[in-house]
Amino acid sequence: MTADPKIIAAVNGANGEAKAAGTRNCLMNRRQFLLTGGIATTVVMVGIPGMAEAQTPAAVSTYPRKLIGKLSELKVDEPFDFEYPDEGAYAESILVKLGQRAGGGIGPDEDIVAFNYTCTHQGGPLQGTYQAADKALGPCPLHLTTFDLTRHGIFISGQAYQSLPQVLLEVEGDDIYAVGMFGLIYGRFDNLQG
Amino acid sequence: MSTPYYVPEESIPLPPVDAEVISTACDYCIVACGYKVYRWPVRGGKRGGPAASENAFGEDFPVSPLGAWVAPTQHNIVLHNGEPHHVVIIPDKDTEYVNPLGNSSIRGGAIAQKVYNPQSPTRDRLKSPMVRMFGVLMPVTWDFALDIAAEVGRHVLDKHGTNAYGVKTFSYGYMENTYAITKYALRHVRTANFTFHDTPSDVTSTPGFRDAGFDNFGPSYEDWRDADVLLMCGTDPYESKTILFTDWIMPGIQNGQKAIFLLPRSTAGVAYAEKNGGMLIDIQPGTDLPVVLAIARVIVENGWEDSEWIKDWVNSKWESSSGFGQGTRNTPWQWRTTWGKFQTNGFDDWKEWLLAQEYSVPEKAAEIAQIDVQKIYTAAEWMAKPKADGSRPKTSIMIEKGFYWSNNTGNTNAISALGIICGCGGRPGQVIGRAGGHQRGGLRGGGYPRNKSPEKLPGRRRRAMDTDRYLMSGHTRLAHVIGTTWVQAMCGSQSLQSKFDELTTRNPHQVTSFDKNDIIDTLKKRADSGGMVVWNQDIYLVDPIGARYADIVFPASGWGEETFTRANGERRIRLYPKFYDAPGESKPDWWIIAQLAKKMGFSGFEWKNSNEVLEEGARHSRGSRKDFNMVKVAAHREGKTLHEKLGEFGTNGIQGPVLMLADGTLEETKRLHDVNRVLPDDGPVGGTVFNKKLTHFNSQTGKCNLQKAPWDLFSSYWEWLKPREGEVWITSGRINERWQSGYDDRRRPYIVQRWPENWIELHPDTAAKFGIESGDYVQVFSDRIPVQKDTIVGVEGDDFDFASLLKNGHIELTRASITAVAIVTPALKENIGYMDFLHTSQPANALAGRVVDWISGNYNYKMGVGQVRKMGESPYKNQFRSMSFARRDIA
Repeated sequence: MTADPKIIAAVNGANGEAKAAGTRNCLMNRRQFLLTGGIATTVVMVGIPGMAEAQTPAAVSTYPRKLIGKLSELKVDEPFDFEYPDEGAYAESILVKLGQRAGGGIGPDEDIVAFNYTCTHQGGPLQGTYQAADKALGPCPLHLTTFDLTRHGIFISGQAYQSLPQVLLEVEGDDIYAVGMFGLIYGRFDNLQG
Repeated sequence: MSTPYYVPEESIPLPPVDAEVISTACDYCIVACGYKVYRWPVRGGKRGGPAASENAFGEDFPVSPLGAWVAPTQHNIVLHNGEPHHVVIIPDKDTEYVNPLGNSSIRGGAIAQKVYNPQSPTRDRLKSPMVRMFGVLMPVTWDFALDIAAEVGRHVLDKHGTNAYGVKTFSYGYMENTYAITKYALRHVRTANFTFHDTPSDVTSTPGFRDAGFDNFGPSYEDWRDADVLLMCGTDPYESKTILFTDWIMPGIQNGQKAIFLLPRSTAGVAYAEKNGGMLIDIQPGTDLPVVLAIARVIVENGWEDSEWIKDWVNSKWESSSGFGQGTRNTPWQWRTTWGKFQTNGFDDWKEWLLAQEYSVPEKAAEIAQIDVQKIYTAAEWMAKPKADGSRPKTSIMIEKGFYWSNNTGNTNAISALGIICGCGGRPGQVIGRAGGHQRGGLRGGGYPRNKSPEKLPGRRRRAMDTDRYLMSGHTRLAHVIGTTWVQAMCGSQSLQSKFDELTTRNPHQVTSFDKNDIIDTLKKRADSGGMVVWNQDIYLVDPIGARYADIVFPASGWGEETFTRANGERRIRLYPKFYDAPGESKPDWWIIAQLAKKMGFSGFEWKNSNEVLEEGARHSRGSRKDFNMVKVAAHREGKTLHEKLGEFGTNGIQGPVLMLADGTLEETKRLHDVNRVLPDDGPVGGTVFNKKLTHFNSQTGKCNLQKAPWDLFSSYWEWLKPREGEVWITSGRINERWQSGYDDRRRPYIVQRWPENWIELHPDTAAKFGIESGDYVQVFSDRIPVQKDTIVGVEGDDFDFASLLKNGHIELTRASITAVAIVTPALKENIGYMDFLHTSQPANALAGRVVDWISGNYNYKMGVGQVRKMGESPYKNQFRSMSFARRDIA
């Protein structure tokens, strides 16, 4: 399964700047990762340690690479909270080992996923609503939307205008890094500008 | 779209401070939330900033919950006066009514995706009139298409009579359009071959309400909130009229309201209610009536009925006999009770009847419905048992299509009676009505010529034509179809489609010329040969009515592309202004109709704009639930147009019927049947109408009729239909995320990702029987879909009962098959398959029996039956991009 070349072009830009920056594969993967999640068996994204910020294209390099947990410490259905991409409003996110394969899942069982905690309908807090039986977040206390964490945070039922933003993860040894987002965080007009 | 996968954005442009702001309302469900359109030119590259002083919302970003956030699906680019403009469309954060917290559903919330943008999947909007030549729809000029339509239309009327000209139209597509369409079809063409998008016959949707004296849309939204006990039949408002649930009923539940659902299926609203002290009465399809009557029986056996209300507001024997309380005119509500099947002499007579019916015994009703009998007792207690201090619970009843399209007459009769004895009607928190489906945009420009209908029922009854049966019999020579799929929206849709094929594409007279006169001659020959020609007005090309059958396609413009007016489910009338250019040559339906009417030689269609249409139609609203005639009077006094005046009310609108007081001010109507309302002593001013239903009920006396609701008028159909060995009920309904046929939603990448095709929910035990798992492709099929044929003259009382129709050879058994993706969920009762009601390529209605409710003439769409067979695995089973198989009722 390869991603649509048009998407890759859209992500990378057509001017070759990504290639020049030496990050093309990484950039491709950032979206391809989600689009192919669950099909590819060994999607382990390679970070760009040491790459100066200024050299990488804006689309991705501006997302920080942040250590958020360790594979060995995660237990099935025991969510772990972290903040991403910054410590600002609505940055709280969930990291959870679902115990079943999931879209964008990492780790040996491809079952570790992370999502922003803020409902993409009207900003309701989803903290504490993890539903182990259904591998879901919700219902949102405001208007009852539920999200399927096995399927890239797509809504199950409810009013959200888009999927729950998925936090893109990488594994390096035992370390789990957050490296990007897929989808706009509620309340912000831009994930990185607030 | 360039990819079948939705790729979300991670930033959006904010409207700058000087963006223009246009107030409007949502185009979709009955609730019609208030919205604001922020519009600014693309030219110049202007964007708003994150500081409150830098954007049109005056808000700092990130915004707070419920704030003026803009999701990527809420931004688009349109042409306005020929120039590209950004539009951001979000729910109005300042509105005082309907959605006062600035909330919206997933449908309306993403309404910015609806507007035409050639870079989006809306690119296939119809942009030119088209005429089918050599089998292909070719773009032509308006004059070319209209000349043909007028010439052939005139010929059909002259040669085959007015009933050969069939008009099938939306009933809701804004008052300007419906007025023009009905003026054309009913006042000028005067055809009885006329009906709306959701029924084969132009008849009342809720006969029981009509006969009891209830208006469908009497309640105000705060009444639903303020009830102590709310019985919701055949709908979870969360799923289909979201804001009515989240912003009105949910706060009620949080305040202690006991919510009862009468449904075979649990969804998010049901789950929320159950978690908060409510109850689901999980009946099997079609068994509402015995359960409703059993609840009523428990109430009267315990003496819990609202005696004072009944004494004041129920017709006695003598009152009822004055033409069933409806007057002695020769009218449908009188005919319905020709043999005394429904009429009673008041409460005692009704009670005696109720207690004599075996199916109203709770244990028997529970057996028929396959429910826990305790739920009947609990419902009765909640709804009617007086509290310790002697006061009564404030009880309200809401019904919708799952209920009134299962056993149309019987269910609506039964629920009316239950409502009356519980004191529902016309008081705060004590109301009865419909929740609603689409918005209320009907305005009659002509009366239905019922005396021309061939439907002759026993007694003196002549009922509106069953246009499907008339077409099946080959009498319709010209089908003029406006804004509806017709085929998939009706029952037994696949056999109906076969007939369309035969009458149109398989008729030998097909256009093989580009010459206008040749085309006209060919189409006339087709009509004369017993075939049918088809005109289709719509915003998209619909398969098959437009794509396969239409000889002429007229491209229509819609929401935001013309200034329109419409009311919502609490009769709130709002203006929906034009804010961008309609695509190509598309025109509003009123304009299309006006040009056609003029070419056909009819006068009175010289309107220059949509305001002129509404101003002409205003007087036809007098006395109706959305009477806005006096708004026009007020507007003219102030030197304004009606549209200008309505625009001043913004998203708050004005709640009809609108009265004018002696001092010239306008007075709104919070609820109908408002028994506490005091109207001015000196009577109506000027053109104001004080309709009886402002303060009383819709009957001769102004009181309610308590009606019998015999199960045996329906049970012969139900018993015959119910699943046999290897079969399950096949029923259908709306799903929150898709509106109507999905004409917009199938062009929203995110919604397509969630619901790429039709699906069927099955209970785990049922699925296991068929070896089906979530994500499997299944075939849903049947070889015993009953189809009523022949227009017969009824003589005996039961000639139209299903058993008689079957015995006398008027029922044909047809076959149908559709595919779907299985969703195995405990949220649905066993032995049922539940599907989206209107996927055009996988229409659930194919499995619903095409047999009209023989009292009312409506279809009972929810009554279908079939078998389910696994075909294999769908692509959605083992990948994670599309669909979700998680249960929808997580609480």
